[in-house]
Amino acid sequence: MSYTPTLPAKDFILYGETFSSRFLLGTALYASPRLMRDSITQSRAEIVTLGLRRQNPADRSGDAIWQFIQESGRRLLPNTAGCKSVKEAVTLAEMSREIFDTDWIKLEVVGDDYNLQPDPFGLVEASDILIKKGFKVLPYCTDDLILCKRLVDVGCEVLMPWGAPIGTGQGLLNRYNLRTLRERIKDIPMIIDAGLGAPSQAAEAMEMGFDGILLNTAVAKAHNPPLMAEAFADAVDAGRKAYKAGLMQKRQTASPSTPTIGQPFWHQ
Amino acid sequence: MTNSLPTHIAIAGAGLLGRLLAWHLLHAGCKVSLFEAGSFQPDTPQTNRAAAFTAAGMIAPLSEAVVSDANVFRMGQYALEKWPQWLAHLKTTSPLFFQNGSLVVAHPQDISELDQFESELDFVIPECKTFQRVNRQQISELEPDISSHFQQGLFLAEEGHLDNRELLAILGDEIIQLGVELFENNSVETSPYKIITENKEYTFDTVIDCRGLGAKSPQLNLRGVRGETLHVETKEIQLRRPVRLMHPRYQLYIVPKPNNRFIIGATQIESEDRSPVSLQSTLELSSALYTLSPAFAEARIIEMDSNLRPAYMDNLPRVKIQNGLITANGLFRHGYLLAPAVVENVLAHIFEKPEIVFNELLNN
Repeated sequence: MSYTPTLPAKDFILYGETFSSRFLLGTALYASPRLMRDSITQSRAEIVTLGLRRQNPADRSGDAIWQFIQESGRRLLPNTAGCKSVKEAVTLAEMSREIFDTDWIKLEVVGDDYNLQPDPFGLVEASDILIKKGFKVLPYCTDDLILCKRLVDVGCEVLMPWGAPIGTGQGLLNRYNLRTLRERIKDIPMIIDAGLGAPSQAAEAMEMGFDGILLNTAVAKAHNPPLMAEAFADAVDAGRKAYKAGLMQKRQTASPSTPTIGQPFWHQ
Repeated sequence: MTNSLPTHIAIAGAGLLGRLLAWHLLHAGCKVSLFEAGSFQPDTPQTNRAAAFTAAGMIAPLSEAVVSDANVFRMGQYALEKWPQWLAHLKTTSPLFFQNGSLVVAHPQDISELDQFESELDFVIPECKTFQRVNRQQISELEPDISSHFQQGLFLAEEGHLDNRELLAILGDEIIQLGVELFENNSVETSPYKIITENKEYTFDTVIDCRGLGAKSPQLNLRGVRGETLHVETKEIQLRRPVRLMHPRYQLYIVPKPNNRFIIGATQIESEDRSPVSLQSTLELSSALYTLSPAFAEARIIEMDSNLRPAYMDNLPRVKIQNGLITANGLFRHGYLLAPAVVENVLAHIFEKPEIVFNELLNN
């Protein structure tokens, strides 16, 4: 039997590299490094992010934990979590490149201390600087279309808009904005980063045509993080398959799929 | 183990475990040689001071179960039983152990953190029902001095805390009086039956290695986890019990100490950085104090301390038994909570007791 997918099944390509897992996992907040590693395994993620802002990276003081994460065999995506200015983010990105020997950086420029909302202005400026320095920037941004376009203009080949503020577990707060983003920016891979609390929310984002999911808190703060990691991995897969298969369109009225006996279907 | 019980025992590391083990073994009639890399009774923060000096000394099996697991809770319950028994044998009149419970609060906007905490408790230790939700009125009855904007909290009635620095000092004095052979400022390596210093090798009936992070080696998978604390002094506030402040990104606790002192701690950073407290951390720690009660604004900062907690990758303790060498390590952020279980486990092995407490948890 053969069928033709109605939507193009594009591979998951980030800066020229193809990945089979569309689920990226953060390494913070776990009760222990052991639980973190078990969660990475169960998540089937090929990319894991890690932050080093507070670990005194200049002195390599985080070596023990970094090495433990590296032993997971996944690609490391260092992030600039906790950086509140362009200068801080750029400095930390350069340090990360040196420590982990990677020019990939998940760029965060914090605009608000309480909800960790990205600073869109600083983000564009820092992206511009880092891309000129040869970095491959994956910016954590809001769902604002113009911001995303500016990030693409300065050379970002991946965008990571939020579902909701970091750690809130609120899910996709602004579906209209997210749908607009997907419709308007078709050729750039977009990963929903942050704010998801439940696998169903990840599945929904994937059904909408987003290319991947990155999260941390929802797994790390689950009672059983490795099991939750697996649940998210399955949901991301399910959402992707649903997107490729093509969702049916919602109808205004209910319509039974089997005609009721005695009621010829042409009378319904 | 040999047929005859050991009579001359060496202990490497004079932190909490080292002191407690020396104290018990000397009372049991053993000869004890104690080796410490730093000074035995350090007064000020210094780079190789044991983590036990930096700890706040909480005995909080429920709160710590939330960030670890049910085994930590069980060993913590054991600690609540053991500490008063042990302390009754110390020659001191100062109160060292307080069991007035602990209070967990969150700002109104972070109330979901309390729900999460409670749901963790229900999940990790469903059998434990010794905590209750408290409202603003009940909070102010428990702790009249804390800010009235805390609308909800949890009261964990059975938790306790120690005056831990006083305890370390008293234990230190007593083991000297009991005739310990002390080698301070003496960094050592251990092997079965042997303590190796820079220029000498000593032989013993058995060796106990409880050097904490001092035992770090490539084979051990032991790491340090940075923690930072502030010590403040004020007469304007009184707390009867530790108060834990829940926040989306950090959990901090304030523990009352004698003489109008309070410890606020502790950050938990995956780093083996032993440098002084960062400005970011002092902001977090001091703003937590300030929000708990604005009267803390005029408290005096009398000490800032940073140290490393020794931890294995699962953040759980281990006691490794070999002929001639027992290694006890990895108590992480639970030193005073887990020490009774670990110490009784080590003693049971040394004295070849028929029942070994927490054998399945500590000795696997």
